[in-house]
Formats: sequence, C-alpha cells, structure tokens
Amino acid sequence: MSAVVVPETARQTPMPAGERAGRPAARRPAARRPGAGRRRPGLEAVRWTFLVVLGLYFVVPQLAMARFAFQNVPVVLLNQHTLLSRWSAASLISALHEPALWQATRTSALLAVLTLVLDLALLLPLAIVAEVRAPRLRTVLATVTLLPWVVPPIALVVGVAATFRTVAPGFLTSPLALVPFYAVWAMPFTYRAIDSGLRAVNARTLVEAARSLGAGLPTVLFRVLMPNLSASLVAAGGLTAALVLGEFAFASLLLKTTLPTYLVDYQRDAPQAGMALALAVMVLTALALGAVVHLLRRRGLGVSTTGF
Amino acid sequence: MTELPLTGVTPVTGPDVSATRAGVGAVASPARRSTGVRRGWRADGATVALVPFLVFVGVFLLWPVGAVVLHSVTPGGSLGIGALVRAVSGPYRSAFTNSLTLAGASAVIGGVLGLALAFALRGLQRPTWLRPTIDAWSSVASQLGGVPLAFAFVALVGTQGVLTKGLAALGVDLAGAGFSLSTLPGMTFVYLYFEIPLMFLVVAPAVSGLRTTWREAAELMGAGPVRYWWAVGGPVLAPSVLGGMLLLFINAFSAYATAYVLNSSGQLVPLAIRFVLQGNVITGEQDLGYALVTWTVALMAAGLVLMHLLQRRAARWSRA
Repeated sequence: MSAVVVPETARQTPMPAGERAGRPAARRPAARRPGAGRRRPGLEAVRWTFLVVLGLYFVVPQLAMARFAFQNVPVVLLNQHTLLSRWSAASLISALHEPALWQATRTSALLAVLTLVLDLALLLPLAIVAEVRAPRLRTVLATVTLLPWVVPPIALVVGVAATFRTVAPGFLTSPLALVPFYAVWAMPFTYRAIDSGLRAVNARTLVEAARSLGAGLPTVLFRVLMPNLSASLVAAGGLTAALVLGEFAFASLLLKTTLPTYLVDYQRDAPQAGMALALAVMVLTALALGAVVHLLRRRGLGVSTTGF
Repeated sequence: MTELPLTGVTPVTGPDVSATRAGVGAVASPARRSTGVRRGWRADGATVALVPFLVFVGVFLLWPVGAVVLHSVTPGGSLGIGALVRAVSGPYRSAFTNSLTLAGASAVIGGVLGLALAFALRGLQRPTWLRPTIDAWSSVASQLGGVPLAFAFVALVGTQGVLTKGLAALGVDLAGAGFSLSTLPGMTFVYLYFEIPLMFLVVAPAVSGLRTTWREAAELMGAGPVRYWWAVGGPVLAPSVLGGMLLLFINAFSAYATAYVLNSSGQLVPLAIRFVLQGNVITGEQDLGYALVTWTVALMAAGLVLMHLLQRRAARWSRA
C-alpha cells in the first residue's frame, strides 16, 4: 500500500566473516580453539596485548575528561581513597543553564538541517537520474563530489573572504551563510550514501515497475524511492550532523557562533563546565553516528563514512 | 515511456538552489524549458540536470578557490611567483616543515597501527561482539577530531592531566622528558586518535580480501612466509596501505580545530593561514595568505589524485 517492499538481494545480505569463505568448513572448529592448529600462543598474546593497549588509548582520554568534568577533587589529591568521592553533575547543569549555549545549539541544529536539505535537493534528483537513465553521469558526480576533499575549510575560508566579502558583502553576515559551504563538504558522503542506497534496491527496476503500473513522478519519488532510501537518508543526515557539530575552522574565522566555537570560548571562562559540555557533545555525536552505523549494518548497506 | 519520467526532476532542484543564490535561478530556468520543449533530446536532458549542481559547486567552491589561486600568482597585480616563493621561505618555511612532519608522522604511525589493528582482528571469531563494535567505533572515532577531542587529551596528559600527575607520583616526569601536547610529538599522539580508525576503515576490506587459499597455494609451491608476503600479500595490500596513508596525510595536514585548541600560536600551515587572515595585514601580506592556501590546495590535490589511482588498483582484490 504505501512503500514498495524490496526483496533482499544478495548484495544486501551482510557477509559474516567474509575471509573465512574460502576455508573448508572442517577447519572452523579447530580455528576457534585458541592455540590450536597454526595459532601459536605467543602470537595470540601479542594480538591481545595490542588490542588492549589500543583500547586503553581510545577509552582513557574520555575517562580523564569525565573525571575532570564531574569530580571536584584536584588532580594532586587524587589517590585510591579520593577516587570515588565528590563526583557531581553540577558543572554540566551549570553549563546547560547558559542561554548562549542554547542559542549556539539552535544555530548548529538549523545549519545541520538546512545543509542536509540543500544537499539532498542538489544530489538526490541527480543521483536518481544518473542511476535510472544516464549512468555516464555517475563518473562526473563521483569526481565532482570528491573535490571538497581537496579544499579543507581553512583553505576555503580565505577564498570566501576574498570573493564574497567584496562581491556580496551582505551575504556573510548571517550565520546561515555557512549552509552552502557546509553542503559542499557534506557532498562526498551524502552522494555515496544515496548512490549505494539506490544500487542496493535496484532503483532502475523499481522505477520501471512503478511507471508501468501507472505511477506518476511524485508517486515514484515519494512512495517508491524515498521509503527504500530511508537508511541512506538517515546515514547522510547523521554524517552531516556530525560534520556540522564538529566544524570549527570555517565558523570561527567567519566569526559565527556555532556549537564548536561556543565550546572553545566557554571552556576558556569555565574550564570544568566547558569540559563537561564538550564531553556531552562528544558522547551525543558518537551515539548518533553509532546508531547510523548500526542501522546501515542491519540493512547491509556498505556506505563509506569517510566519503571515499 | 512516451513521456520523460524524470525531466520533472530538474525543477525540484531549481527553486531550492535559486533560493540560496539568485544567479542560479537564471541558469536553471532555461534548462527547464529546454527539457520541456525538446522531448526527443533525452540524453542531453539528463546532462542539463547537472547544471544547477555544477553551478552550485562552481559558485561556492571553485570560484573562491580560483580567486585565491589567481591572487597568489599575481601578487600586487602583476604576474609573478614572488608570493608563492615567500610562502615557503623565511618564517613560513617552518610552518610547512612542521605541518609536513606532523601529517607525515601521523600518517605513517597511524597507518601502521591501523593496519596492525586490521591484522589483529583478522580471523578473530571470539568474542563475536568485538569485530562489529570495532567497525562501528572506527566510523565514529574517525569523525571525532576537533575541539572535544583536544579537550580530552588536555585532561589526560596536559600539564594538569590525570596521567601526567599519576606518572609524576610514580617518579616519571612527562614534561621533563620533553613531552607536551603543544609540540609535534604531542600533537601526533592526539591526531592518532582519529587517524588509526580512519586507516582501519580504509585497509580492513583489503586485509579481509587476502584469501586463505592464496597462502595455501603459495605454501604448496614451497614459498615460506617471507616469500609469500613479498610476492603475494605485499603487492595485494600495497595500494590500499599507501592510499590509506595518503588519506591520513591529507586529513592531518588540513586539521585545524585540534591544533588550534592544543597550541593556537603553533607554527603549522593551517594556523599560519589563520594568522594572515585575521588582520595582521600589512599591504602585500594578503598575497602571502593566498599563496599559503594555494600550496595547501595543490598538495591536497596531488595527494588525492595519487590516492584515487591507488584506490582503483586496490579495489581489484578488496572485500568490503
């Protein structure tokens, strides 16, 4: 009735432990037992030591940050007796009571939404046309959407100051002037998310089937393609949000107050509360991205989060 | 299929873009007309759909960059490479040296550790949650550069950091040993946080693509491990590994927020660009900023082209 349900294709099914495919099934149990067969205990020890050390490297900075943010014990007095005392969320609460924070958050949220809308408006129709009718456009799209990698924010901001400031001085006054530039940097992964989504659902067949059943263009777009692309669109949204919540150079040099620039200014005045806020932002970003990755895995979509 | 099903797509793009910038609307409307009138012109109708997109990229990416490059080769209004030469000599030379060292070191170390991580997880089936967790975490952590990350490391190994004080209590003096987050080794240590996961994401498909059968075939023909890696494994992995390291290099070279928080007066190219941009402008200094950007963009472009070629080669054996 509403969405056209697509049968699972071979492409969609996730390939568990792909590298094992070539190995005879009989060897599997042997490989599971540590130390059995070719696995040497020494090698296993090296492997696990490496994984644990790397794990510590990734977890400990966050813990240190949490301690600084939420524990009111000076670091010199820290020992096994004081480790669990005087933890409190007061710093985060005081940070959340700043009206300026909500102003910056609102700006960043608006930027993220508008960036996504602009990118989808630019890329979604094109990606569909390229997939359904003109495959040769794909080369152009794939190449052009890589260009933003060549121009990092810190480089583009100089060009923007040199051009827009003289030609259209009014344009840069609003914080929303950041939207088209953020859209430029979001293009690589937005296009790749849409493209892999379209390919996974066999968009060409879907569109032809819908047309032959008498569906008009709006029906094809909004009732056939969009529901099937939902995972891609969510992925594009999550990655765009992460980009906007993390971009500092461009906003700071154009003197716009977004969440990242606010974080730096605020942390200078209130070190502890600023740290708590930064941790909260990081955890939220990580959760959002983690949810996106989880969703993509469940749908079996190989969307590259790096934009390549 | 008597009607063009998707020419109507062009107007969907039109209004959104023209709302952003008036100039685009003027380009988009003849495009709409031409697809509407000449129905037999299918292939070109699709090409015309590209126009708003290309105009957008042109206005917001190519125009600013082109203007900067143009300024940098015409310092003071006449053609010359004076600014470009000045940007890599004198006080700015050290910015380039430092940035190249930082990007190079974090690319090589991050590359090796990311590759090692991919190998450590290869063939690991127990615990079952480990591989998906690390996959997901890498996607997340590779995006986690920026302000909060720098704060986290300040809390850990800054002058008042937990680890700094903890080690001091054990008699190890980090600062005395020359370690500080504002130095190049310190920054490399921080950059590895997003470089290792990025490398893992890039090389993991290539490492999973190494078929066990190749190894067995090589052994049957009498090749030892060294010979196998030299003749089979190495050549198959090399494009991915080099391409990944180039990506890490590009990523680290252009990183700004982390460097700014750790040491805002540091001698690095992105920080030097900021310095020139934020006033401090004597006449002619502006051209220097343009020249710095031109060098950066040229470096990024060279890295990206090379990386693209390597990736195409790597794709042959990869398993996503």
